[in-house]
Amino acid sequence: MTWKTQAIAIFRICYFNGWLGLRRSPIAFIALFLTPLSFVFFLYVIAPRSVLPFGVVGGIMFSALFTGNAMMNDCAYLRLERQVQQIFITSPLRPMSWILGMALSELVFTVPGLVLFFAILPLVVPIGVLTMLALVGVVLLTWLMSTSLGFLLSTFFRQLREIWPIGMVVFTSLSVIPPVFYPIAEIPESFRWVAFLAPSTFASQLAVRAAGLSVPIVASAPFLSSVGFQVVGLVVLTGLFTIVSMRFARWREP
Amino acid sequence: MEGLIARAVSKTYRSQRGPVRALDNVDMTIAKGRLFGFLGRNGAGKTTFIKIATALLRPTSGSIQLFGIDVVDRPREIREQIALIPQEAKPFYQLTPREHVEEYLRVRGLSAETAKSRADEVLAAMGLETYQSVPAMVLSGGLQQRTLVAMILATEAPFLFLDEPTLGMDPFARRQVWEVVRRAARKGSTVLLTTHYLDEAEQLSEELAVIEGGHVLYQGVAEALKSKVRREVRLQFSGGFTAQELARYGDVYPDRAGLTLLTTRSAVEELTQRALERRVPVNVGPVTLEEAFLTLVGRAIEDEDAETPA
Repeated sequence: MTWKTQAIAIFRICYFNGWLGLRRSPIAFIALFLTPLSFVFFLYVIAPRSVLPFGVVGGIMFSALFTGNAMMNDCAYLRLERQVQQIFITSPLRPMSWILGMALSELVFTVPGLVLFFAILPLVVPIGVLTMLALVGVVLLTWLMSTSLGFLLSTFFRQLREIWPIGMVVFTSLSVIPPVFYPIAEIPESFRWVAFLAPSTFASQLAVRAAGLSVPIVASAPFLSSVGFQVVGLVVLTGLFTIVSMRFARWREP
Repeated sequence: MEGLIARAVSKTYRSQRGPVRALDNVDMTIAKGRLFGFLGRNGAGKTTFIKIATALLRPTSGSIQLFGIDVVDRPREIREQIALIPQEAKPFYQLTPREHVEEYLRVRGLSAETAKSRADEVLAAMGLETYQSVPAMVLSGGLQQRTLVAMILATEAPFLFLDEPTLGMDPFARRQVWEVVRRAARKGSTVLLTTHYLDEAEQLSEELAVIEGGHVLYQGVAEALKSKVRREVRLQFSGGFTAQELARYGDVYPDRAGLTLLTTRSAVEELTQRALERRVPVNVGPVTLEEAFLTLVGRAIEDEDAETPA
């Protein structure tokens, strides 16, 4: 298969697993943005107004991060329960194309939530077109990182029963506990570096910065606050998860 | 050129109870364009072999070549040549049979026009026209299985791996699948088929192999398997004989009407003569592949039990 036919294949997977899935099971339309919207609503009700922009940016990042959870669920389900992953990777389709097609199809489910939060954002913080574009870039990198991680995790499961607890632990740890919905400044300064143990912190801090919100310096390790470090961190983690995922897509015993 | 050559293929799985040898020095050759049956009990090693041959799993040792291409060294080239129905696979719940076939062909790099015309053809041949626009989630298990078979056979891949493709289908549907599989072989595809329906293997296979405990016990044509186990004829007696009396001629087992004996052609004349003298009704017929399979595998199990220390 040529690069062109691989690209077509990626979009076909996105079409039938994402678009047709969304059209024929519309509840998924709401499912993915209901949780972050609830968090934003809580912040609106109980927190000072100054925190609300962080909540909306958090909603965007949560949506991008949770595509990884959806990816993990879908890939494990298609491999273990339906065994159709085996049909696709024993074909001229490259494993990477399968992963990208699945990742794009998960993005389809996330788009309604992203559109909603991007629509709310200018209402809570002044934001320009360039800032929006920077934020979109961060969202795309985060999507790639979390879906690669989701695929990688999906290859370890031996039965469906294992999926939900691991999904809850991993993706809650990535999207709720680190400073995704709240400013990193809420963490005592000497412990802020701990937040960077979660890959999502790189993404969330870049998103907060892109939205024009303040990013405090981590005095104990000033490089943690630099754009360069955060971009490199996110790109390296994305690349790492993607490469490892490709490797497992080939030989991981179901 | 051969379709498939397996040489000394072994696979050992690690498990909590220690290593489990799923395949043990398997040698097998399948001629290009051949419809090949691969038979064995559950856990005999069939699916492990297919996973290795389709580059889903690495062998512990040994090699498999498809059309001269090494599966472990050149998996990307192998994938250009193959299509697989895994055992107990199920379709995407939200897609219709037509979408399954067309989308899978598009993903494999075929044009929209080719995908559509092949879908028209295979859906008609598989009796799926009526259901072509119904999402799989509301189709019966048999129709879902037919959808998967249609999806794979529509590829016209040079090598088709069908791991229990007719599981859960009614006898009519199975025969439709047989016809489409035969058509694929006539068009030049090499087919490796595993099945627990021995009548299906007998109907479809030009050649077959029997595997037990990771060892290939037999490879050849079905008729030769019956000769190999020296059981070519089935005699059914409605009384008049005891099991002990018949045991020296072959394998005896009780059935609904009396006793069934699987034996050689040479014993038939003597036994029918004696049945005539005793005025005992006797039915004579050929041994089925299933009976030959049970005899062959049964002996292998007995041998293994005898070798295992108590």
